[in-house]
Amino acid sequence: MKSSGRSTITLTVLTVLVYMIMWAPAIVLIVFSFSSNKYGISWENFTTRWYFELLSNVGVRKALARSVFIALVTVVIATVTGTLTAYGLYKFKFRGKGTLRTVILLPIIIPYIVTAGSLLVYFTRVIHIPLGYITVIIAHVSFSIPLSVFVVLGRMQRINWTLEEASMDLGANKLTTWRKITIPLLLPAIIASAVLIFPWSFNDFTVTYFTAGVGITTLPIYVFSQIRFGTIGPVINTIGTIFILLPVIGLLLMNFFQKKEML
Amino acid sequence: MNNRDSIYCVELKNVVKRFKTITAVDHVSINVEQGKVFSLLGPSGCGKTTTLRLIAGLEFLDEGDVLIDGIVVNDIPPYKRECSTVFQNLALFPHMTMEDNIAYGLERRKVPKPEINKRVGDMLDLMGLIGMEKRRPSQLSGGQQQRVALARSLILRPKILLLDEPLSSLDRKLRKEMQIELKRIQQEVGITFLYVTHDQKVALSISDIIAVMRDGKLEQVGSPKAIYEAPRTMFVAAFMGAINIFPGKVSAGGNGKINIKTESGMTISAIESKDIHNEEISGISVHPELIEVSPRDKDAKGDNNFIGKIREIIYQGDFVEMIISLDRSDKLITAHLMRSSLYQEDQFSPGEEVLVHWDLRSSNITK
Repeated sequence: MKSSGRSTITLTVLTVLVYMIMWAPAIVLIVFSFSSNKYGISWENFTTRWYFELLSNVGVRKALARSVFIALVTVVIATVTGTLTAYGLYKFKFRGKGTLRTVILLPIIIPYIVTAGSLLVYFTRVIHIPLGYITVIIAHVSFSIPLSVFVVLGRMQRINWTLEEASMDLGANKLTTWRKITIPLLLPAIIASAVLIFPWSFNDFTVTYFTAGVGITTLPIYVFSQIRFGTIGPVINTIGTIFILLPVIGLLLMNFFQKKEML
Repeated sequence: MNNRDSIYCVELKNVVKRFKTITAVDHVSINVEQGKVFSLLGPSGCGKTTTLRLIAGLEFLDEGDVLIDGIVVNDIPPYKRECSTVFQNLALFPHMTMEDNIAYGLERRKVPKPEINKRVGDMLDLMGLIGMEKRRPSQLSGGQQQRVALARSLILRPKILLLDEPLSSLDRKLRKEMQIELKRIQQEVGITFLYVTHDQKVALSISDIIAVMRDGKLEQVGSPKAIYEAPRTMFVAAFMGAINIFPGKVSAGGNGKINIKTESGMTISAIESKDIHNEEISGISVHPELIEVSPRDKDAKGDNNFIGKIREIIYQGDFVEMIISLDRSDKLITAHLMRSSLYQEDQFSPGEEVLVHWDLRSSNITK
């Protein structure tokens, strides 16, 4: 069907406008991160100087390392736990199954502030563990598991489970079947959830702020603390660019893996 | 009893399987002879697939025993049983090549790589799949996928091959071809088959023994000829296409011949049955192809002659289906007239009165 020329033009114009409004701030940020203007508010000359300054800043480097470390650990724990949970929820019947399903959703439904605050109280007043990497990771994992569970669960609905039976019929025990058949089939979903969780954990501010205590300065927290002292200037643009591009790359990767799993 | 030289490849002894409130398999006992094709035939939900899964070990039974080659295997998990299943949806591993699919079972048995390669090669040759071994299942045609599924199971040289409606997803032409292939392979390899299907034509053409199932129970077990020509219950008769069913009771008898008075008021003659007693008789069934239709004024010879009026004529190509209502009853009879028979008679038209006749031997007694 050929749409009339007029409506195609209108559609195109509208689309461009919408995208511009959505992306303008981000694009400005990215562009100005390469500007030599000290305050990052206008265009002067092209430079990658700020990126190098960022990387040479010890505080930034340490914060970056911490963020990456926490995100990686979170991804590993959350995807493993999430996958096992999804498998159990899908395949088995047990008492409290419905409750578990609802409870898993809670971290996503309840506002971050509430959960973060209550976790803080829990860590300090109830179980008395010192704030640090452990508490941050626990907090991050509890927010990430629902993501992993539901991405994997979604994939499980579309898998032909006779494949597991065929594997056992051919001589593979449960463990081998899991290793050779189940996990490979679930892999696109597992990777997709990992790719969603990493940027989330990396970018998180609220929850980390509440549960990190002193000394665990992740990159977002570092940036926040620097803004208050006004020392950071154009580095905001630089870090902002990284924070924008990371999830975009993550989403593109996830898309790629989702397409691969047309099995 | 651990008798390894059992003549039965598989035995089921009074097996019961329940799912919550439903008894899917209700005290079923069957014996599958070595090297034969044994079919479980029946409508959806009759328990045939569950029975197959009980043998494979994919379900565990509630009562009774399953024996493979004389050994009780009730508690043995599927990966330790010496049987292999070809699933209805084939269940080929989509993330593996054809080669790897076929080699899967051998790898699990830790067979050395060179031997695996050789056996896979032989199997590919047997199945006519050479040259495609690196392809994924999604890149194969329906018939090719079928053969891969078969190859994957056969390569393990199982004691019995369990096939769960393996041809139902194929189109008619392919189904016919695969049927012949299956039978050929079965005879060449000499392996025992347990074939589950709802399609009586397939069962009739490939089986040595057919067991008709209904609601979890066995209705009748026998050779294809016995099941088709002498169904012992109304259900089996109807399922095998003997759609002329006359419920009734014996009214008279003598000299090996009996008369049955049907509920619709007809009197039908039949030859006394050796295995069904007169008191047990619930009625008569007659296959439509055994009904003779002639012009009304033709001389009536022998037994089972009735006058009727043609209600409908349905053209089926190789035969013509006639629905005839009999005088003095509302009974409808279906007759199938092959084209060759139509050359001898005049052309019939709906509304015409005709003489309906069938031979004494065509009356099948049901319990």
